[in-house]
Amino acid sequence: MGSPVRKMAEALAGFLTPPACREEVLGDLHERNATAVSFCRDALSAIPLVVFSRIRRTADAQLIVLQLCALCLAYWATAWFGQRGLIENTNGLLRLAIPAALVLLGVLFEDAYANPGRRSPQHLVRGPLIGVALTFLSQVALWMFHSQLMLPLAISVYGGVLGLLLTSALRLLFSPQSTSPQGPQTR
Amino acid sequence: MAKPDSLGQFEQLVLTAILTRREDAYGVSIHSKVQELAHPKPVSLGAVYVTLDRLEDKGLVKSWLSDPTPERGGRAKRCYRLEALGERALEESAVTAKRMWDNIVEVWGKQWVKQWSKKWAAQ
Repeated sequence: MGSPVRKMAEALAGFLTPPACREEVLGDLHERNATAVSFCRDALSAIPLVVFSRIRRTADAQLIVLQLCALCLAYWATAWFGQRGLIENTNGLLRLAIPAALVLLGVLFEDAYANPGRRSPQHLVRGPLIGVALTFLSQVALWMFHSQLMLPLAISVYGGVLGLLLTSALRLLFSPQSTSPQGPQTR
Repeated sequence: MAKPDSLGQFEQLVLTAILTRREDAYGVSIHSKVQELAHPKPVSLGAVYVTLDRLEDKGLVKSWLSDPTPERGGRAKRCYRLEALGERALEESAVTAKRMWDNIVEVWGKQWVKQWSKKWAAQ
């Protein structure tokens, strides 16, 4: 029961499970599984669905659309003023859409993994920041494997900063506080 | 009183599991009951979590965290109980299922019921 592999698997499962439902999910997995192998199998099948469910609960469709528009506008405007030829190029719009989608992904995951008991104003900026970091990582990956889809550095930086400002402002105006009834409440 | 949404089949199973487990309705016990009800189809624990969350959002069930227990590695259970709206939704589903059953038996006959019972009992 207390083998190092099992402990490591539990720690990893705890890290991957959103804090809002970590307590009960880890408890259930612990109770159901006596061995590390069955624990891992169970965790692998349950945790993705738990994350999906958390995203569904924390994501506000209207705010997502607004943020996506703001991000697309940020990258598109940067390209328009910085390197207009990029927009007219083949794959130009796709190259601009990749970072916008990644920032949004970062925001969605940050909201899902936010601790409902410890909400702070930093949380509103942390999501877009993680998204921008993801964008830079993706640019490095594109540079290594598919450089045709990579954005010029200046557009990545200025688009990222503008996107960060716009999405943070939107999140301040329309706070993404979860309205879901689930939380660490007791009877 | 608000009218409950119509339930999907899996939602009906989860609500039935919560109803039958009474005070002991939490992730593991609900999953094992749903698995029993859905037999022979396999049911994943994750699917039960997703459905429980959805039912809670619809206001059909209510949840709370119990005290931590040692057999769960010192972690708490999230217990569930049916809300009045959930009971009504389940009642409506049960009545519809009963009506369906009666109509099927009327058309396919009592002999079919016997054969069907034997077949499913063997599984």
